[in-house]
Amino acid sequence: MTIYEKNLKTLAKHYEKMDVLIEDARKKNEETLEIMEELSYDGEPILKIKKDDRICYLNGKRNTTEPAKMWAKHLGKLMPNAPVFLMGMGNPTYLKELVDKAENPVTIIVYEPSFQIFLRILQMVDLERWMEKHLIVFWVKGIEGMDWERLKGLLTSLLRYEVLNLSRHLVLPNYDVLFPEETLEFVQGCRDIVKDELVQRNTKMRFSSLVAKNLLANARYVADGYKTTQLVNIVPEGVPGIVVAAGPSLNKNIKDLKAAKGKAFIIAVDTAVKPLLREGIVPDMFAIVDAKKPVELVQIEGAEQIPLLPSVVAASDVMDFHTGMKFFANEGYQVIDEMLLHHKMEYADVPTGGSVATSAFALLYKLGIETIILVGQDLAFTNNRSHADRTFAEKMEEMDTSGCIMVEGNNEEKVPSREDLQVYIEWYGMFIEGCQKENPNFRVINATEGGAKIKNTEITTLKDAIARECKIEVDIPAFLSGLKPMFAEDRDWAVKYLKGIPDKCTTLMKDAGNAKKLYQKLDKLCRHRNIDQKEYTNLLKKLEKQIQKIETQSMYDLAAITMSEAQYILKNERFLEYGSIQEEGKEIARKGILYMEKVIECASLFREYAESVYTDFE
Amino acid sequence: MPAPFFIKGNKNRMEEKIQKLYESLNRISVEYLLCLNRNNVKDTGKLMPEIEEFARWFLQENIFGIEQDLYEGMSNNLLQILNDIVTAMEQNDRVLLNDAVTYGLLEYLKLFAVQGEDSNDNL
Repeated sequence: MTIYEKNLKTLAKHYEKMDVLIEDARKKNEETLEIMEELSYDGEPILKIKKDDRICYLNGKRNTTEPAKMWAKHLGKLMPNAPVFLMGMGNPTYLKELVDKAENPVTIIVYEPSFQIFLRILQMVDLERWMEKHLIVFWVKGIEGMDWERLKGLLTSLLRYEVLNLSRHLVLPNYDVLFPEETLEFVQGCRDIVKDELVQRNTKMRFSSLVAKNLLANARYVADGYKTTQLVNIVPEGVPGIVVAAGPSLNKNIKDLKAAKGKAFIIAVDTAVKPLLREGIVPDMFAIVDAKKPVELVQIEGAEQIPLLPSVVAASDVMDFHTGMKFFANEGYQVIDEMLLHHKMEYADVPTGGSVATSAFALLYKLGIETIILVGQDLAFTNNRSHADRTFAEKMEEMDTSGCIMVEGNNEEKVPSREDLQVYIEWYGMFIEGCQKENPNFRVINATEGGAKIKNTEITTLKDAIARECKIEVDIPAFLSGLKPMFAEDRDWAVKYLKGIPDKCTTLMKDAGNAKKLYQKLDKLCRHRNIDQKEYTNLLKKLEKQIQKIETQSMYDLAAITMSEAQYILKNERFLEYGSIQEEGKEIARKGILYMEKVIECASLFREYAESVYTDFE
Repeated sequence: MPAPFFIKGNKNRMEEKIQKLYESLNRISVEYLLCLNRNNVKDTGKLMPEIEEFARWFLQENIFGIEQDLYEGMSNNLLQILNDIVTAMEQNDRVLLNDAVTYGLLEYLKLFAVQGEDSNDNL
């Protein structure tokens, strides 16, 4: 049996049908580069690649192992579950050193942009021992199903915040020279994922303390609220949707919007409501997601009656001010989802994209609207201003943008922006691309008339967009007046559910208290010189069961969000290793006790607050 | 042709130059291997005049009085190293360049230079 045949067998053992996929790819493979093999000075086979008139070595001829050894030596301790990413396997000494360095099994993702090189390595190196020791995923461009989009999905699932500081990566030398596009895609892709994780994490941190309070206060509005799924068919085919954001360019074309009223579904972001109403334009709906949004930004006569698309954790002051129809979606908060899925109600999923405007945009797409017009969606500081006039101030002041990043503009070559806004720019580009794959008729017109350029959009003025797209009359208030609240037939159930929240908190306190007792037992056990292994294992099993019981509770879900910092520390430290079983057990117990105390504290606060909101709720 | 920098009668100055070249190349090597800095082609390119001068001086004559066969072997090897360095520069080949400099040229420079704490041996 040749090394190649043996490798196919090994790969098929770990990944079903990998051998078939490789053989299929081999038959279809077109040679795009020339692989030359020569022997190093000490007789090891090394590869030299000829591509586009350039010849590059993948390994040195004087010393084949030292560079990889150095790299592996300086990697630091590798943690199980913290992945290592390698781009390129044309020099297998890097993978070999990595495999040998890690004592415990680690996850290694190898991305090879050339099927030809992958094939040659399969003929040269026996992978069996390496794959027995570690979880190695070979992702090879040219093999069916291994495209970049799927790889990105895999990277996203692996590059979680908790492991960012523990994971490692390497682009093998000369891969950036031979495969510049693929390298850029890989490195930039990883960077974007990390950036997204950090932005999400920062948002979570910023709002974690408010989320629970807002959610508990806002949950009562769900009982009389509506579901976003009820909005399907709100506009007939051919009627566009308009997202009005509050970017500085809104000043330019806000008056033009009047012409679209009654001929489009106009959804505004919270901050745009004031300037719109002041201009005499009443949007069909407005959206709010910000947990800290000051109510003053929407406090204007008439705003309270405009149908609202809120996040259930949005600022409760705004929710209290608003008295009109509220449309809720499933956002993943267990305590609310249990209500929204009552009696097998349809799952109302609206991707958030992270901002209020992206949420509004995603809703329009979900409703089946095929043409969406963006207005005031600058995602940049056009004319050195952050927002349109009459939002945070009557006249927005010029700001210093010298420290800003510059991004491609719609009207200007470059406009100042910010890294978090850049995340939304990228989100739009990707989301629209996905929508267009799903529905080739889907179009997005960016009529901001300023701001940052968004991929996959058509750029035009608002006047032209309205003249071209808004041709069919539509009576949105009439449609909305025909809707019934989601609990119209079963309101008693919803009220009972909400009034039961304090009891749910009591259950969580009790279960967390029991878990704490188990951790205390564990601590006591680990203080003995000789640990009773059986008792230790039994205790851990009991703890696992108790934790599972806690983790399924909707109030724990809320507690975990509130304690996001503690969650991070625990999740991050889960990847660390300890010298002895005693040491490990004591550490588990110490953290467990602390954590359960915090859960009890949270549940107690929730109960107190929920009692104040729901005791007299009818 | 410029005068070789390491000629008899000007030893101290020449030793200094070799020392400087050794330190510069060693730093590039360390940055490539440990910091994964991939600018070695550009950085080494700036030192090409010094590398050429050293090579010319070494190849000019057997000033060390070592066995002629050994000297010729060393000279041929140095020519091969120089050839690889030039090829690597032309092809933007970081691997070949690091190999030729770190495991080739630096070995020669080490014969004349005082090795500091960051020398390649201690990497």
